Amino acid sequence: MQRRRFVQAVTTAAAAAGTISAQQAPAPAKITTIAPEAAADPTVRFFTAAQFATLKSLSALLQPAANGRPGAIEAGAAEFLDFLIGASPKPRQTLYRSGLDHLDTESRRLFKKPFTEITADQADKILRPLLVPWTFDPPSNPHQRFLADVRADVRTATQNSKEMSQVAATANRRRRGPGGPAPYWLPIDPTR
Amino acid sequence: MPKQIYDVLIVGSGHSGGMAAGVLTQKGLRVLMLNAGPVPDLEKDRVFKPTHELPYRGFGNPNAHLDHVFQANEFNANTWVNEKEVPYSHAPDAPYNWVRVRLLGGRSLFWARQSFRLSDFEFKAANYPGGAGDNWPISLADLDPYYSRVEQQFRVVGRKEGWPQFPDGNFTAGVEGTDSECQKRMTAVANKMGIPVSRMRAALGDNGLASSLNLSIPGALATGKLDIVPNAVVREVTVDKNTGRATGVHFLDRHTRREMHASARVVILAAGTLESTRLLLNSGIANSSGLIGHYLIDQLYGCTVVAAMPEARDGKANPALIGGGLFMPRFRNLGKDEKRNFRGGYCLPMGTGSTPDAKYFPEYGPALQKKLDSYAGACITGGIYGEVLPRYENHVRINKSQQDAWGIPTLHIEARYGENERNLCKDAADTMEELYKACGFEILVKSDKVNPPGYSIHELGTCRMGDDPKKSVLNKWNQSHDIKNLLVVDGSAFVTGGWQNPTMTILALSMRASEHLAEEMGKGNL
Ligand SMILES: Cc1cc2nc3c(=O)[nH]c(=O)nc-3n(C[C@H](O)[C@H](O)[C@H](O)COP(=O)(O)OP(=O)(O)OC[C@H]3O[C@@H](n4cnc5c(N)ncnc54)[C@H](O)[C@@H]3O)c2cc1C
Repeated sequence: MQRRRFVQAVTTAAAAAGTISAQQAPAPAKITTIAPEAAADPTVRFFTAAQFATLKSLSALLQPAANGRPGAIEAGAAEFLDFLIGASPKPRQTLYRSGLDHLDTESRRLFKKPFTEITADQADKILRPLLVPWTFDPPSNPHQRFLADVRADVRTATQNSKEMSQVAATANRRRRGPGGPAPYWLPIDPTR
Repeated sequence: MPKQIYDVLIVGSGHSGGMAAGVLTQKGLRVLMLNAGPVPDLEKDRVFKPTHELPYRGFGNPNAHLDHVFQANEFNANTWVNEKEVPYSHAPDAPYNWVRVRLLGGRSLFWARQSFRLSDFEFKAANYPGGAGDNWPISLADLDPYYSRVEQQFRVVGRKEGWPQFPDGNFTAGVEGTDSECQKRMTAVANKMGIPVSRMRAALGDNGLASSLNLSIPGALATGKLDIVPNAVVREVTVDKNTGRATGVHFLDRHTRREMHASARVVILAAGTLESTRLLLNSGIANSSGLIGHYLIDQLYGCTVVAAMPEARDGKANPALIGGGLFMPRFRNLGKDEKRNFRGGYCLPMGTGSTPDAKYFPEYGPALQKKLDSYAGACITGGIYGEVLPRYENHVRINKSQQDAWGIPTLHIEARYGENERNLCKDAADTMEELYKACGFEILVKSDKVNPPGYSIHELGTCRMGDDPKKSVLNKWNQSHDIKNLLVVDGSAFVTGGWQNPTMTILALSMRASEHLAEEMGKGNL
């Protein structure tokens, strides 16, 4: 392109850009959006159907609703953990998968039924031996480790859920501890 | 000829670098500060959010590459050094937690502000039979005037006690308030056991922020003598082959990787203990002693002993009965005749009136909730800050097979705790148990285990100071023995680590070194 034509082309493009921005001058109406959870349900993608069903039953036993506070089911803890564990490193995925499989296998061995169909008392016979007193290092037995982890994870997922925060807000209590508002550091602008 | 030759070039902008910049610019010197990361905007970079609005409900992104940063959470995950970008290595059986921040201000933006002085039990450790390590070339008396000024600047509050192992500071205010019944009982029992009881000492700063970003850098900028270049990743200190003097540094732009050289009459490293050491090792300088990287120290954090006050259980906890903290400074190995199976000491920071973590009860469902309700507000938690022996074997070296995102060779860290640390921890856990039992408390959990080295974020040593150039890297003014116009003013200079959080000492040393440097430059000695 000759220099003169090039300059002309640039000038025309700049003028067009100016026109467009001039047309945008009146501020558009504020566009409001909603979070995906408000419009849609999570898809279970990581665990198998059987594993997820076991996790859901287990979560209800670990963290039931009580005293007007939502439990794991209301808080969608199992659905959230499907996402979290699915995004986690392999060792954590394996711990969860084999931990859930173990519960189901034990249930079928002892009660001839899947974990999802046994009573709370029957489930206790499987869970109780896996619950060990706290030690600084996590249990070396993988099934005990799984139960320690899933117990903590279900609790945190429930406490930090929107459902729990709504209950707290309704009760007009200031949220403290896990789940409460705190300063969140945005990613620092990469160009700064 | 270089475009500009500054009087002093400072690498790093945290507590140590900020203090040096403040002192030197006040003395009229022209200072250049290079910092590896960007300038944070505390207004714009932080927004208040409830946890449920975070993408991972507060668990944090499992792939955030902050594997060793136990302090990271989803709220602050974007502030720490990404371990993929600036990796380091350690043996699989010897984990090390290296916690770093590269924003302007460094870790001073996030520290917990607990503020103590070292005592001569640490500065002159070799003079005591139970001391943990060698002597520093300075004593508390040398550092006292600097501590006083730092404490004033940072507005440290604390209770004066007059105990030699817990030197009083120049406190802005005392610690007020009436003790709860639980605090009173614990104090009486501890005193009977020969354990002194005080209160936490902490820097108030300005509006709760006590960082270089608000306390030292603004003043330095106001002199018109400080230039700051953010996003400048320093790779190497340059030295004139003929004179043996430091001439400046090579750095890379964080975004473009373009390399540049900055020149100065004096170079100060304040990149944080292990980063300054990495820079020296990568530069291959100032190491005639062969000791750069050795005698890595930190502090023991852990030994969890949790108890409950029976009278406060089942909804009976109230502020008159339980609540408030206690701080029990070092009480072991202070006497000449004391015989222990470990050297050094520890303090016991304790809190009362908390609800125990659910993980402490082997229960689930309604039974767990019943326990938590019963113990709500009735608990006493204790842990330790303990001394680690400085050992030659605990060291860092360059890992030639690994480079960071800017092509700079990384560190391999080799640090292990030994028998001394294990025995110390056992003593601490047993002592807490004895104390709680004598108070009539119910022990819920007891562990004498501690977190991996580095967890305290108090990494110290690796360029120890001393009078003998064969046995130390720096002299008592934080100057390299080999290269007089090269200083290291962060925690690398420590000879012993003590049990005390180190930042007040880092700040006092940086202030002292910088004033001495300005004086020497004024006299034309450098
Ligand atoms: C959560 C937390 C709580 C803490 N609590 C306490 C406490 O209560 N009491 C206490 O005494 N201490 C505490 N500390 C420790 C305390 O923060 C440090 O001792 C202190 O901040 C160290 O200051 P520094 O200047 O030596 O290093 P840093 O703050 O690490 O600063 C180093 C600076 O150097 C820069 N840098 C690094 N490498 C390069 C390079 N190659 N090129 C250019 N720049 C570079 C970095 O960007 C950084 O800004 C805590 C730390 C943390 C993280």
